[in-house]
Amino acid sequence: MARKRKEGRKKEEMKMVRIYIMGKEYKVPAGLTIMKAMEYAGYRYIRGAGCRAGFCGACATVYRKEGDYKLYADLACQTTVEDGMWLVQLPFTPANKATYDLEEIKLDDKTLVNFYPEIARCVSCNTCTKACPQELEVMDYIQACLRGDIKKAAELSFDCIQCGLCALRCPAEIAHYHVSQLARRLYGKYIAPKAKHLEKRVEEIKEGKFDKEMKEIMEKSIEELKEMYNSRYIEPEEEEIVVEAD
Amino acid sequence: MEEMAYYPGCTLKTNAKEFEESLLRVFKKLGIRLKELNKWYCCGTVYSLATDNLMYRLAAIRNLIKVMEEGYDKVVVPCSICYNTLKQANLMARNDKEAMEKINSFMDEEPDYDGSVEVLHPLELLREKIDKLKGKLNGKYACYYGCLLLRPKEVAIDEYEMPTIMEKIVEALGGSVVNFPLKNECCGSYNVVSNKEAVIDRVYRIIMNARKNEAEAILTSCPLCHFNLKEMQNEIKKIHADFVDMPIYYFSQIIEEALE
Amino acid sequence: MYPKEFEKSIRKVEETRQERLKKPPERLGEKEKEELLKKWHPDYKPEAKRKLRVGVSKGSIVPNEVADIIEAYPLINPDEIDLSQIDYETDILIIGGGGAGTAAALFAYYNGISPENIIIATKLRHGDSNTIMAQGGIQAADKENDSPVIHYLDVIGGGHFANKPELVARLVLDAPLIIKWHEELGVMYDKKEDGEMITIHGGGTSRKRMHSAKDYTGMEIMRVLRDEARNIGIEVLEFSPAIDLLIDDEGKVGGALLYNLETDQYYVVKAKAVILATGGFGRLHIQGFPTTNHYGATADGLVMAYRVGAKLRDMDSVQYHPTGVAYPEQIVGLLVTEKVRGLGAQPVNVEGEQFVHPLEPRDVEAAAIIRECYGRNKGVITPTGMRGIWLDSPMIEIIHGKGTIERRLGAMFRMFKRFDIDMRYEPILVFPTLHYQNGGIEINENAQVLGINGIIKGLFAAGEVEGGVHGKNRLMGNSLLDTQVFGRIAGINAAKYSRKAKVGKLSLEHVKKYVEELKKAGIKEERKAPILLPDYREKKVLSRAIDIL
Repeated sequence: MARKRKEGRKKEEMKMVRIYIMGKEYKVPAGLTIMKAMEYAGYRYIRGAGCRAGFCGACATVYRKEGDYKLYADLACQTTVEDGMWLVQLPFTPANKATYDLEEIKLDDKTLVNFYPEIARCVSCNTCTKACPQELEVMDYIQACLRGDIKKAAELSFDCIQCGLCALRCPAEIAHYHVSQLARRLYGKYIAPKAKHLEKRVEEIKEGKFDKEMKEIMEKSIEELKEMYNSRYIEPEEEEIVVEAD
Repeated sequence: MEEMAYYPGCTLKTNAKEFEESLLRVFKKLGIRLKELNKWYCCGTVYSLATDNLMYRLAAIRNLIKVMEEGYDKVVVPCSICYNTLKQANLMARNDKEAMEKINSFMDEEPDYDGSVEVLHPLELLREKIDKLKGKLNGKYACYYGCLLLRPKEVAIDEYEMPTIMEKIVEALGGSVVNFPLKNECCGSYNVVSNKEAVIDRVYRIIMNARKNEAEAILTSCPLCHFNLKEMQNEIKKIHADFVDMPIYYFSQIIEEALE
Repeated sequence: MYPKEFEKSIRKVEETRQERLKKPPERLGEKEKEELLKKWHPDYKPEAKRKLRVGVSKGSIVPNEVADIIEAYPLINPDEIDLSQIDYETDILIIGGGGAGTAAALFAYYNGISPENIIIATKLRHGDSNTIMAQGGIQAADKENDSPVIHYLDVIGGGHFANKPELVARLVLDAPLIIKWHEELGVMYDKKEDGEMITIHGGGTSRKRMHSAKDYTGMEIMRVLRDEARNIGIEVLEFSPAIDLLIDDEGKVGGALLYNLETDQYYVVKAKAVILATGGFGRLHIQGFPTTNHYGATADGLVMAYRVGAKLRDMDSVQYHPTGVAYPEQIVGLLVTEKVRGLGAQPVNVEGEQFVHPLEPRDVEAAAIIRECYGRNKGVITPTGMRGIWLDSPMIEIIHGKGTIERRLGAMFRMFKRFDIDMRYEPILVFPTLHYQNGGIEINENAQVLGINGIIKGLFAAGEVEGGVHGKNRLMGNSLLDTQVFGRIAGINAAKYSRKAKVGKLSLEHVKKYVEELKKAGIKEERKAPILLPDYREKKVLSRAIDIL
């Protein structure tokens, strides 16, 4: 009797849901991510799986739910399966990247439009923003690119994982994630202030300022090093509230 | 200080920065704070003439929704093209229930829109404040309207065949205006991309008409007219060697100068 | 959303928060650390490891899962491969398309190799790597109160003094150069308004030298390097992992055999120099631990290099990141960046009590958490029977102000929010997770791979696949640095080497010899390696999701 009850509980824990993978029905345990659910169903990924943690964009996918007209876009590794989901794998998004030599680029209001003229085709339909699994304001950063506001574009697009869902859904056929890549690099290189202490340290290293001290510490015995290590000064943790450049 | 929503349009952020800067300073002096919308998008002008496709209205409507969402009932739009596009979309929102039903259901995550916002051109506002416009403006000006502030007549900011709004402003500031028959003539617009010759020819006629009437400068409100009138002059010189440059200003630049 | 049974414990965490803010816990002394590690760190479990029975490092102790793939047969029968038909001929073949491989490609190009003579072959897509997942940051001693020598001492002390000194010296001396290079490429590091880098502490650092780009540091670096490689036009063969190296008649490495995962075809690549940048072993799930690593982290490079005679070192130590996600189940094992603790979140037990300083070196921190859960029974037990301790993330905004979490820990915030947990107001539940291969194949300071008789000609290595840089334990922020510093060195030296090198007739003789040795050692032909991808089909995916220890 006791045994039976235990099994019963276990069964309850393994509540199953119905999903459709490329139209074919499978039953998988509730609570799995789309990625794990497809593996449970017997798929072994070659494409469509990368970091499995929401950083690489390899598992971008679209799905529909029963009784709902919306086409959802998400990351398979970060989305839990629901009963009645229609799933598919998206292996790849074709999109052209402009080539450029960052050293040679002339920076002005039109730089981004010149490299990616198609951004002027944006009709503000906002489909890109709705498709973004990172919940970025994609349309807003494209609009910022359009009016030459590189800083804004860089900030708004910073968390982009380049999964390509925006580009796939855009009726104006923009490859948003390539545009913002250029915007961010332009910002990082030409607009963000340079770190002066870094430049100074690089000079010091090139001049060999630390070479002698380095040689000495490399020759120390483990006992000497242990003592130095255990008695070393540790910079206190308190951090003043900093005003960050944005 | 009175505050109004302000929709700049892309061109005032790029090619027509001096328009924006002077305009904002003028209104500040007049006690009106033009508050740029936190969020705004391209007005969608590329498609503004293709009235049969509602997709192309989305951009304009989205901007009007933003005005509403940010708590305003009026929005100031300086660029003639943006003004025309937003104003036309707004008229459609007020009059074409069927089209709006479609647009509202397509934009299913945004609030519904029914045309409640009022789209204003800064010249309309200045007309109301004309008693505050006092200055010592020198020179003779030809006021050029182009087409987008006046056509179609439903969106016109003034008498659509004989506008006088800019002239009144110049006179209030102490300047003089010239008779300018071609003030509503199209500058050639986007044809500058595909049919430059036609634009050069038009610009030449417009400028010569102003000059014949003794204008010393031409005033405009539209960044595209401004571009064509200004940039085609070098091309004109290649054809008409005796052509002499004509200065082109945004109306706001002249007002600012006069108020100082 | 947390289950109801967590509520009582969360309330206790909230009740003790103000007290804890005033008094952070003490750091442990050397003796206490040693005892803690011995008793509770998974590395100190002898039954989880064994001696290698074949190869140049025969007799050295490695985790069972590593021994399994080292003592395994090749995927191909060397006699059945036609090496006379060359599919690609190039100066430099880089195996691996992560941070190390891409940095190597760029520096080979900067050092005079034309893009047509560089190939990156990678198992998944260009950029699919642990690099892209590195959240916390990258270390470099570039502030006034810091120096490469101080950085050196931190690295070597954190590595339990087992590191190879000349590698550590290169790591710390080249670090500022790397950050400067990144700045010039347009990497958006977190900076103050005057351009000063915002740097914080990481576990085991004595100065605040952790540079970051929000908590997407690795992704930001990777996507910039990849963009640059694409601009230059470096050829990348995706979904084409190497399955064995090729040698020539003089025994030099002269290319590799690639395997197109999508078409099942083999490609023979002849190359004057080969750079291994294949990353680590997280997906071997050492001792059954969940892992933070990307899908392709199956230690292919170790297997291939070992067959050509590369020595292994420090493979007995494995890095368990102290804070992997313990709840919710969908993301169990994924990384909770050390930056969360760097910004002030304290680890606390089910009673809301402190039990360890938040920034001890990783192995110490991990051992303390395991002890709290299993030694003292003060962990929180999840609905699937996993245990974890709280990381009191709401402390961050009390210390640094509202908005800090979204601004500086955007990736973390988003990850938990997807599962209805708001780390601004609720603590997060964590437990150690398999994170990093501390050791690897041995290299010298020129990134040349070392065998029993010195340098193995034509073979270079960079990044997680190599060992010696981090000794027995890597500090946060030194792995991204390792990929960049040694990727650069490998690229420069491979360029130099390839200019003079001539490759003779290619063969798989070394593989044949290795097979003989396996047979002689009595190892049955049950396992093949490299394994290329883990297999999670059917219930295997569940065991990862539900049974952790």
